Amino acid sequence: MADEFVKGLSLFTGAGLLWMTLAGWYRTSSFESTQQLVEPVTIDLGSAGVFNTLGVTLMDVFFWLALLGPLAFWVLIPAGRQARSAIENRRNA
Amino acid sequence: MTDNQSTTDETDARTDGSGIVAPDDETPTWSERKERRQGLAQLTYEYFERSRREDQDLRQESNYVERDVLAFPTWPHETVRNLSIASFFIGMMMFLASTMPPHIGPPANPGSTPAIILPDWYLYWSFGLLKLGPLNPNLSIIGGQKLMADRTYGVLANVVVVGIIAIVPFLNKGSARRPVEQPFWAAVGMTGVVFAFTISVYSAKNLLPMNVNLAFDLTFLLPVVAGCVTYAVLKTMREGYMYDLNRRYYRLRPPK
Repeated sequence: MADEFVKGLSLFTGAGLLWMTLAGWYRTSSFESTQQLVEPVTIDLGSAGVFNTLGVTLMDVFFWLALLGPLAFWVLIPAGRQARSAIENRRNA
Repeated sequence: MTDNQSTTDETDARTDGSGIVAPDDETPTWSERKERRQGLAQLTYEYFERSRREDQDLRQESNYVERDVLAFPTWPHETVRNLSIASFFIGMMMFLASTMPPHIGPPANPGSTPAIILPDWYLYWSFGLLKLGPLNPNLSIIGGQKLMADRTYGVLANVVVVGIIAIVPFLNKGSARRPVEQPFWAAVGMTGVVFAFTISVYSAKNLLPMNVNLAFDLTFLLPVVAGCVTYAVLKTMREGYMYDLNRRYYRLRPPK
């Protein structure tokens, strides 16, 4: 159980840090702005080059990883185990 | 607590680690230390010899070896731990500073006063105490005038608050290890913490998006409410079912 917790926490903090960095590059016009990290992406992906395209893609990947990773390890996997043990208990009883 | 109860306490198994250090009733009080005027060297020798002897006795009469560790050695345990923690934070600072360097704005213009003037955040409470004008009474005995200017009143309020903070350790020596042992003083502490927060918020009253009079009232009401809630919660914990279950964990030490 503690293993699952630290897996989810690692995904949340690690992917969140990388998302924050990339969003600071691509979705932040100024650190004094009131819309930091959530402004629309302004660069043109058609002529932005491979690295910028990769960066914008990874930004979304890390964002969803930071949300879905903890959800999987903290909610879905424990719930699945509980359900499986409940089913087995019912079968044995 | 009477002597009877304290002797029964000593026969109990001590699971909270308190058996390792000297019990409070064996620790020399300040008056006892003062009576032994035999020089600092003698006193130091006695002190360390006694603690060493206690450790030795504990180890000899115990059949456990691993559990009687008094502390972790500085090398390598604590050093490795501290090095890893320091490396993590230094690495995080270097990462953030290199990937997200903040924009450095133009230099401040000394000719124009900024719109918002505030001290550093840890002085907000003192800045808020300077704004206690509404509490400065108009005394009828001197014709409805104020005894002192509002700014003098604010400075004196700082003296009062610092004085109260200085007096509290003399009223309560803080022998409780957990808030639940002394609910009243825990409530006093929570009142102070919440008041520090509310008076800090009130110091920026011109920026608050709410009625200034309401903010002023809340500044003094919220700490009292927080103190009452703390007292009620801790009292409930002491009298509740869980407290009986956890009596060993919440063990109250006999008052001196």
